[in-house]
Amino acid sequence: MNFMNNIIEDIKSRFNPENTEIVKKNQIAIDFKNEEVHSALAYLKSQGWKQLTILTCVDWIKENKFQLVYILMNWDNSITIQVRTKIDRDNPKFRTVINIYPGAEMYERDVHEFFGVEFEGNPNHEKELFLELWDDLPPMRKDFDPLAYSKKKFDVREYKVDFIPKEGEAE
Amino acid sequence: MKRQVKLFLGPNHPGMHGNFSVHLYVDGDIVEKARPLPGMLHRGFEKLMERRLWMNNLALIPRICVPEPDINEMVYAMGVETLAKVDVPERAHWIRMIILELARIANHLMSLGGIGGPTGLYTGPNWAIADRDLILDIFEEITGARVYHMYIVPGGVRKDLPKGIEKKIENFLDYLEKRLPEYDDLILKNPMVQARTVDNIVLPEEVCWELGVTGIGLRSSSGKPYDIRKVDPYARYDEVEFEVPTATYSDAYTRLTIKYKEIQQSIRIIRQVLDKMPKEGPVRARISRGSALRWRVPKGQVFSHIECARGEYGYYIVSDGSNMPYRIAVRGASYPQGLLGIEKYLPGTRIDDVAIWLDTMGVCAPEIDR
Amino acid sequence: MALNENEKINEIDVNELDCRDTLTFWEKFGNIFRSKSIWMLHYCTGCGAMELPPTMTSRFDMERIGMAPMATPRQADVLLITGYLSVKTLRRIIYTYEQMQNPKYVVGFGSCTLNGGVYYDSYAVISRLDYYLPVDLYIAGCMPRPEAVMSGFKKLMDMIKKGEALGWKRYQKYYDWYKKNQVRALGEVYVKDEFHE
Repeated sequence: MNFMNNIIEDIKSRFNPENTEIVKKNQIAIDFKNEEVHSALAYLKSQGWKQLTILTCVDWIKENKFQLVYILMNWDNSITIQVRTKIDRDNPKFRTVINIYPGAEMYERDVHEFFGVEFEGNPNHEKELFLELWDDLPPMRKDFDPLAYSKKKFDVREYKVDFIPKEGEAE
Repeated sequence: MKRQVKLFLGPNHPGMHGNFSVHLYVDGDIVEKARPLPGMLHRGFEKLMERRLWMNNLALIPRICVPEPDINEMVYAMGVETLAKVDVPERAHWIRMIILELARIANHLMSLGGIGGPTGLYTGPNWAIADRDLILDIFEEITGARVYHMYIVPGGVRKDLPKGIEKKIENFLDYLEKRLPEYDDLILKNPMVQARTVDNIVLPEEVCWELGVTGIGLRSSSGKPYDIRKVDPYARYDEVEFEVPTATYSDAYTRLTIKYKEIQQSIRIIRQVLDKMPKEGPVRARISRGSALRWRVPKGQVFSHIECARGEYGYYIVSDGSNMPYRIAVRGASYPQGLLGIEKYLPGTRIDDVAIWLDTMGVCAPEIDR
Repeated sequence: MALNENEKINEIDVNELDCRDTLTFWEKFGNIFRSKSIWMLHYCTGCGAMELPPTMTSRFDMERIGMAPMATPRQADVLLITGYLSVKTLRRIIYTYEQMQNPKYVVGFGSCTLNGGVYYDSYAVISRLDYYLPVDLYIAGCMPRPEAVMSGFKKLMDMIKKGEALGWKRYQKYYDWYKKNQVRALGEVYVKDEFHE
């Protein structure tokens, strides 16, 4: 715990994080402003967080924001850091991090496909990865309803016999 | 004259592990460009999980990774327990370790024997899958199902171990230990396998850091025990003794050898667990006062990760305090080596090495696609 | 969201005996031999494929009842749809199925092919297989155990012998109906070359 506080102090002395939090043993979450994310990631990489575990996105539809989450793993002192930032939901754009973490390329394509966030500077971010000929909202957004889409596209089997006992009927 | 031919490898190809495709641009049989094409197994799990109750998700999550489903349950349970601050009973921790290690052996047997597919040694799969079935029998006795168990739940495990299962597990471990030297003779010492794997598909250490490759890929190239069971122990892995096999030169053969050694270490762990675990006690903590279906998990965002047979497996779990998850992101362990690894580091190898890359790096298509 | 009447798929009678009236003596004769040696296409479309290796290898050994895996669609008799079928796979499955030589049989494997199973509300997984391909036999379960798979294969052999597995004839007869459903789910039944480079 003490060690994690040192890391947080170090981050606070160099950047202006909006919020820091100790999530659990060996895990820290830090919220950055948009413009500080890249320098913070570069700094953390030089400090031993050499691997980007995952880049993912959370749709906070009530606040009208997307939250990008970069999870970094330091294998030597086993501390995981969540680097989080919130971007605007209406015109989601963010600068790519592939020059810092080259492994982010596919994750960025993933987030673009499922949330519609554009990553400027990633040459392939618009290519589809998992879906093919997709014709609706990006599917992981909160306002997309998969059940309605499924019903529209794929008809379901209707069972003629009702196996659920009706009221008054003995089970 | 240089001629480039485009070759579709998969999804319908016996050397492919799962429903996965690689487009190759080849000159002769040297790969010049490779493009992975995932998504044939995409089911939209992350979306489906947002639409199910916290406990209902248990039925869904094992299906994310087919060869080793238990890790999903474990990593989900760990994340949810952190958010809800549930204390897991002591005995449940040890039972979880038995399940996870048996699953690891099952997966390693499958891929160790599976190298017989691309190298043309069909005795390997025949032996390994028959031995894996013995593990499935044990699973069936413990959990009631062969492949998808839904056994590790938030708060512990679903039920206590059945009577006399310890004896059966020990018998199996004895059998497997006697059997392992035969695998060594059949697969690792086989000139056919050696000719195809030694000095083939070398993975440098920098590549692992760059792409985010974990697990056997990272350990076999860096020479350091980067295993989450050691680095950030979960369950009771800090109370058992085991070694993490490593190497500093990562060709396909080294990775096979490490798989073989990890089976030995898993056997060692299960033996210690059976010895050290409390013989009695509760196995499942009550997670909520009312019905578990109406359970609300407190607000929070947590990343929980464990070591699966292919590397670091993690869930990023977000809860907004309601009775369903707000967002769950899955970090499949083979995501880096399966997508970017194929695209960047396959060129220069031969066509038939693609299947060896997929096997020795443990590319698991369902967890990439989710 | 309820569908309009004209948006719904009109069911066809899958048990229709119509297809059967061309059965000649020689076809009957051929069916007996056909049922004794079946090549199944080695294509794992979903998670049910996990129970196929035990079925194929030494523990359950399906070769003893006369079945073996085959690598290419053109030489295979049975197409196994092992579990859920995502839209992207369905495109490739239709290609594969149409490449196979007559007579050909389709076995739906697991609950997801029957009604969607746990993926009933997924945006990427079809709910019902027999709208898109003629299914001869379903094996229920998630996933079916090797014993169930073996018993299903045995049943398929009996059906072939009696001349009941006529999905391929149905596909020819109601080709328009199947195509219409496929187009509705897939947009276009066309595997495009993803990387024009």
